[in-house]
Amino acid sequence: MDIGELETTAALAQIDLGEGDLARLGEAVSQMLAYFEKMNALDTTGLEPTTHALVKDNRVRPDIVAPSDLADALVDQAPEREDRFFVIPNVL
Amino acid sequence: MSATIAWKQFQAKKEAYLAYARPWEKKIASFLTYRPEASPVTTATGPLAGLPFGVKDNIAVDGFPLTCGSKMLADLISPYDATVVARIKAAGAFVIGKTNLDEFGMGSSTDNSALGKTHNPWDVTRVAGGSSGGSAAAVAAGLVPFSLGTDTGGSVRQPASFCGVYGFKPTYGILSRYGLTAYASSLETPGILSSDLELVKTIFEVAQGRDVHDQTSLDAETLASRPVKTIAVLADLADLDPGVKAVYEHTLNVLKDLGFVLVPVSLPTLDYAVPAYYTIATAEASANLARFNGIRYGHRPVYAENPEHLVRQSRTDGFGDEVKTRIMVGTYVLRSGFQDQYYTKAQKVRTLIGNDLQKVFDQADLLLSPTFPVPAFVHGDKTMNEFQQKLADKFTVTANLAGVPALSFPAGLSGGLPVGMQFTAPAFGEARLFEAAAAFATRVPVAACPGTSLDWSK
Repeated sequence: MDIGELETTAALAQIDLGEGDLARLGEAVSQMLAYFEKMNALDTTGLEPTTHALVKDNRVRPDIVAPSDLADALVDQAPEREDRFFVIPNVL
Repeated sequence: MSATIAWKQFQAKKEAYLAYARPWEKKIASFLTYRPEASPVTTATGPLAGLPFGVKDNIAVDGFPLTCGSKMLADLISPYDATVVARIKAAGAFVIGKTNLDEFGMGSSTDNSALGKTHNPWDVTRVAGGSSGGSAAAVAAGLVPFSLGTDTGGSVRQPASFCGVYGFKPTYGILSRYGLTAYASSLETPGILSSDLELVKTIFEVAQGRDVHDQTSLDAETLASRPVKTIAVLADLADLDPGVKAVYEHTLNVLKDLGFVLVPVSLPTLDYAVPAYYTIATAEASANLARFNGIRYGHRPVYAENPEHLVRQSRTDGFGDEVKTRIMVGTYVLRSGFQDQYYTKAQKVRTLIGNDLQKVFDQADLLLSPTFPVPAFVHGDKTMNEFQQKLADKFTVTANLAGVPALSFPAGLSGGLPVGMQFTAPAFGEARLFEAAAAFATRVPVAACPGTSLDWSK
């Protein structure tokens, strides 16, 4: 994969790559992608893709309110908050 | 069940346990959080009453850290129990620690943990396997009677093989994934590690079944009951370490001796299982790990200019190399224009592999293979780099792609290191795995790791 493609992919993944990272991780990424090409040797014409291991019927449940006391405990994990709001840097 | 009885004295003989366990833990560092002072609920009843256990640190346990072996989550404390943990606790057991793992479950050595290095109790210069390496090492060293791991492509079975214990991956869905940190959702499941096969069965029974919190969870079904008679074996097995090959051949002889009929089969798609697996796993990982952005929880830089910078910097600092690599591979294969070439192709190969496996189970009750082509390798082994480790997953990933159950069982030693073999069964065929492994253990009992003891109570 060329550097441009790698940088585009990293940007989409929201990861910054320094020069050293580009070389090191770029090689690992390219090696895996090249290896994936092996699948092209298999004829998969007409096959349905499997999206899940075991597909059973769709699951529904009664629309009933169930209590959960987790919300506050989860918000408490925030790196920075004010009351029940998450604090982030200024948007503008 | 004698081991279980000894463990029921855990609380009464706490000092003796600590005197035994602390030096071992210092040697192998299997836990990221270790609280052996924790006490069982004295009123607990149930089949697991009084038993301590360890939980891989990507599964939620109320009041314990949930680090996933990552700097990203180093300070996270879980405010709730995963469903499997809650059900095992309800059966009387209690958690004494969170075990080390490859960051977010990505690896085969546990050396990809950002938070600690775990060693194999059989030889501390070697890895415990991964990604559930801490869970396997803790059980093998006798620090807990059982532990929970997660198995996305072999992450319970491979470390079990490396450490000489049972590693069980159920049919996809029978153990709820609620509370398990998502890596590759269509492939992964909680799994169980122990040296005691009866205990594995008991835990599986209490933890299984549908869960309102996991839409993909299923109740166990019973396959038409029949004793296991036929075992499929792969006609051509290439690239096995000579020691693993010797244990494999010995296993075949023992099984024949026990009266099982061995049926040679071929799995023509086996060579394509690893590329299909890694295409799907990385694609799902890139989506699942997008949630780690430093806003609601997890690592966040001291300063960021704007929200976008905050997210990028959190991820860049918080993730290790292997996680970044897999996220980028997954992002690439899902990119517009490449999806059909990689992701859809892999899903079709997945269909082929499922069909292939079905043909095997039309001819035999179980499939036998080695769990991993080599025994535990030394830390930093150049011949087993990250890429080579992935290629070696070929025997384990098949069960994840097809969603079927598999069990790695201790089958013997090679050069003083344990070697596991693996039974794979059709979906809901767990009973067959346990039956055949129990029969095998009547001839080849589980070897104890040198220097370990269940007799610390005396």
